[in-house]
Amino acid sequence: MTVADERTTAPATETEPPVEPSRFSLGHPRSRIAWIRPAAWLPLLVMLAILAALWQWGAEELPYLLPPLPDIGSSLTTQFGYYVDNALVTLGEAVAGLAMGFVAAFVLAVLTSELPLVRRAVMPIAVVLNVTPLVAIAPALVVAFGFGPLPKLVIAGLICFFPILINTAAGLRSVSQQVLQVYQTMDAGRFELLWHVRIPNALPYVFAALRIVFPLSIVGAVVAEMSASGSSGGLGTAISVASSMNQLPVVYASILVLAVMGVLLLLVVTLVERRVLHWHDSAHN
Amino acid sequence: MTGTPALELRSVHRIYGFGSSATNALDEVHLTVPPGRFVSLIGPSGCGKSTLLRLVAGLEQPDHGEVRVHGVPPAKACAAKLIGLVPQSPALLPWLSVLRNVTLPQKINKGAARRRERIAGFAERDAAPSAPDMRELLVKAGLGEAMDKLPAELSGGMRQRAAIVRAFGLRPDVLVMDEPFSALDEFTRESLQDQLLDLWDELKTTVLFVTHSVPEAVRLSDTVVVMAPHPGRIVDIIDVDLPRPRGDRLFGERRFHEYEDLIRDRLRRAWHGEAA
Repeated sequence: MTVADERTTAPATETEPPVEPSRFSLGHPRSRIAWIRPAAWLPLLVMLAILAALWQWGAEELPYLLPPLPDIGSSLTTQFGYYVDNALVTLGEAVAGLAMGFVAAFVLAVLTSELPLVRRAVMPIAVVLNVTPLVAIAPALVVAFGFGPLPKLVIAGLICFFPILINTAAGLRSVSQQVLQVYQTMDAGRFELLWHVRIPNALPYVFAALRIVFPLSIVGAVVAEMSASGSSGGLGTAISVASSMNQLPVVYASILVLAVMGVLLLLVVTLVERRVLHWHDSAHN
Repeated sequence: MTGTPALELRSVHRIYGFGSSATNALDEVHLTVPPGRFVSLIGPSGCGKSTLLRLVAGLEQPDHGEVRVHGVPPAKACAAKLIGLVPQSPALLPWLSVLRNVTLPQKINKGAARRRERIAGFAERDAAPSAPDMRELLVKAGLGEAMDKLPAELSGGMRQRAAIVRAFGLRPDVLVMDEPFSALDEFTRESLQDQLLDLWDELKTTVLFVTHSVPEAVRLSDTVVVMAPHPGRIVDIIDVDLPRPRGDRLFGERRFHEYEDLIRDRLRRAWHGEAA
C-alpha cells in the first residue's frame, strides 16, 4: 500500500538535474523481495491495529463524533454500488481536470522556456494564481459555470496547473551547458533540441510533478463538489449530504474510499513512471 | 580549392567586460591551419585558448577580426556540420544508449549535407555516415560491448570515448576538443590518446585540441601553438616533426623530450616576459 516510500528520489522543483544512475537503472528487485519478510509489513500491521483499537474506544466514548468501525464497514458493503458510482464521478472529474491542467501547463512550460517574453508575462500571474486559495475560488466558479461537471474540472485542472508548469519548465531549462554547446555546433534547430534533448531531460521532473498532482486533483474535485453539493453526485457531495443529515458512517466510509482512490492513483503514476524509465533503458537492449 | 585553409583567424580580438575591468582574452591573433593537421593549443589558464576554440566553434563572436572555417564563417560551417565539438565533460544524454547517443547527430540538422555541398571543395565528399559506420567506429574505440549500455553504466574514460566517437561520427572537417582528457587518470588518458590518433589517422580530420599537458601536446600534434595570458596571444608556433604512428616507444626517445623542453622553455619565457 505504501507506494510513496519506494521511490523518494523524485527531484525537487529547482534543484540539480537528476542524472544519478539509480534513476535510470532497472527497478529495485531487492525492495520487492523485502515485502515477503515480516519485518517489512508487520510494523504497519501493528500500527493499524493500534489505531483501530483507539478509534473503537473513541467511538464508544464519543458516539456523536466517531462512528464505530463495523458501522462504516457495513455501510460500505451494503451500499457498495452507491460508493462506487460516486467514486467514479469524482475520479472522472479529477482525472479529466488533471488532463486539461496537464496539457495547458505543459504547453505553457514549453513556451515559457523557449520565449523569455512569454515567461515574463505569464510567470507572475501563475505565481499569484498558485498562492490564491482555490477553495475560495470554488463558489465563484460554481456561480459562473453552474452545478454541472464543468466547475469541478476547472478547479481540479487549476490545482494541478502550477506544480506541472514549474517542474516542467525547470526540467526543460536544466540541460547542461556543454550538452547544449555540442548540439549548437551541429546547428540543431529549436524543435530538434526540444524534442531530442529538452523534453526527455524534463521527464523525471514531469513525473515528480505528477506524483504531487494526482492526489491534488482529487482534492480539487472534492472541494468543487462540496461547494456545489446536492447536484451531480461524487464523493464530496456524498460527504456534504451525509454530514448535514448526521450520517457519520457514510461520511467516514466516503473519506476512506477517497483515501483508497488516492493511493490507487499514486500507484498508477508509479507504474507508468517505471514503464517510461524502463523504456529508456530497454529500448536498446 | 585545395588552397583553402581548414582554419583561418585574422587579427582576432576578443574582450570580456567593459572599461577598466575589461579583460583582453585574445589580442591580435593570427592563425592558419591547413586541412588535416592536428594542432594543439597550449598555455596557462587565462591565455585565451578556450576562447579561441569557442570562436572557431561559433559559440562566441570575435570583437574584431575574422574567423574562417574552410573559407566560411563558423555559423555557416556549423549549419553544414563541418565542426565537431568534444567538450571537457562527455555531455552524453543519460536516457540514450551509447549507440543512440552517437547516432543522434545524424537525426539533427538534416539539411547540413545539402549546405555542405554548396561550400566550395566539398562537392565530392560523402554525406553523413550511415548507422553501420557508427557501430564500426564504436567497436574501433573499444566500445563494442558498451554499445547498448547507458552512459551511467560506463566508466569516465569510456564516456569520453563515446563523446569522441559522436564528434567523429559527424565526419566533421574540423574537430575542436576542449581539454577532453583533463578529468581522466594518467593510464586512461594515454590509452585514449592512442585511440584518438587511430581514429584521426583513418578519418584525417583537422583537429584543434586545447590542452595544458606538454607531453600530450607533443604526442598528439603536428603543430603546437604556444599561448600566453594578459593579453591572450600566440607567442610561438612549433611544428612537431616526429614520425607517425607515435607509439609508447616515442616517450623514451630524445627527440620527444627535446620537443617537450622546447615547449616548456617557450611557455616559461612567455610567462617571465609578461612578469618583467
